[in-house]
Amino acid sequence: MNSEYFKKVHKWGAIWNYASLIAMCAIPVVMSIVLKAWPDLNALAKTLAVLIPLYWVTAFVEIATYVPMLGAGGTYLSFITGNISNLKLPCGLNAMEGAKVKPNTEEGEVISTISIAVSAITTTVVIAAGVLLFAPVLPKITAEGSVFKSAFENVLPALFGALGAGYFIKHWKIAIAPMIGGCIILIFAPKMQVGILMFITIVISIISAMIIHRDLWYDDFKKMKSKS
Amino acid sequence: MAIFIVVFIVIQSVFFIVKSWKHGKEIGISKESMKNTIFSSALFTFAPAISILVTVIVLANSLGIVLPWIRLTVIGNLAYETVAAENALSALGGTINSEVTDPVSFTTVAWAMNIGAIFPLLLLPFAVKKLQKTIGGAISKSEKSSKIGDIISAAAFIGIISAFLSRSIAGLSSDGRTDAGVLSVTVLIVSVVAMIILTKICIKFKLSKIEPFTMPLSMFIGMGSAMILTHFLPDIAAIVWR
Repeated sequence: MNSEYFKKVHKWGAIWNYASLIAMCAIPVVMSIVLKAWPDLNALAKTLAVLIPLYWVTAFVEIATYVPMLGAGGTYLSFITGNISNLKLPCGLNAMEGAKVKPNTEEGEVISTISIAVSAITTTVVIAAGVLLFAPVLPKITAEGSVFKSAFENVLPALFGALGAGYFIKHWKIAIAPMIGGCIILIFAPKMQVGILMFITIVISIISAMIIHRDLWYDDFKKMKSKS
Repeated sequence: MAIFIVVFIVIQSVFFIVKSWKHGKEIGISKESMKNTIFSSALFTFAPAISILVTVIVLANSLGIVLPWIRLTVIGNLAYETVAAENALSALGGTINSEVTDPVSFTTVAWAMNIGAIFPLLLLPFAVKKLQKTIGGAISKSEKSSKIGDIISAAAFIGIISAFLSRSIAGLSSDGRTDAGVLSVTVLIVSVVAMIILTKICIKFKLSKIEPFTMPLSMFIGMGSAMILTHFLPDIAAIVWR
């Protein structure tokens, strides 16, 4: 890994990150100034008492999960532009798979970042165009009775089914444990947040892979031992 | 304000594309490969982006267009924004289905949605470097000595996909609209099968230029199967098991 390049990516990421943070904080302030109305602190505290434990804790788990998969540039951009688990993460992984590069390599870093940046631009343009040009027609897409309703309600199974197909066939033995584990967890906690569920299934999957490929671990361990 | 945020996101993304493209060329990634990444990622994003757009429109019923538009362009995500807005509105004694006309209520929702979402940005500059060094470094180090790195990467990837597939098989959605059932499992199976068939066709007929598009295409076929099933067998399509 070219540490110089990674250092630069971290620097750029941090600068854009702080710029976005300022922009984010400015939004409600500007709205309050323009509308000459400041928030109801009681209701705000009540809402944040629900949101903060729910999402701030998840943020720790999500960051730890996404960084090794998306690299630095991809992670910064993903968190700034949002919609990670349902869009940026699968998009980045699909691009690396398509370009035959691996996460945690310089090639992976480049492809993942390009892919997530393109995804962010596409989403931004689609939303802007939709809002400005098609706002009156759009609710009809998902309205009761629309032919497209069921399609757009099932974007995620379609997306992850297609994305996982190749891997599941190639590594079907590894896939059994996290799939069963995920379903069992959901039987008891059917509305578990996907960020937490994902962390658990990744751990199950890695343990399952370690058990299935224990011979490789053993070889590696022996090599390390003989070197020392 | 929304236009400013849109421009900000586009400039930022273009900045990262230019820097990555330049470095990609330096380390020998082919132009073809990077171009394919751009086209396939744009196509891949299209359907999920429409879903996000629909959420913007749904939230616009109560909050007007600007706030949901901004929130779903920066940091926001489908699930979070709806939950944040719902919680803020219920604390104020309203619901997401009625229009917010009181400026105090509106700014309360705006503050809640923003404060609830900024935490990752506070954490990232400290966490990313450290995590990449420890976890990423450990994986790439073992990659050099054996196949273990490959297997860990594949296992992590499978873990991610498993979480979403399990939700399609056994999960409940927060709004009750997309609970696991016949429809979600059918879409899942159809998209898997479509991906396998399209990949085989590409390999057999050496259609390497079409290969990057097999994934988005399979996704659209999966979504199409939901439309067909709902249209021809609506009673069966409506079955959910949770």
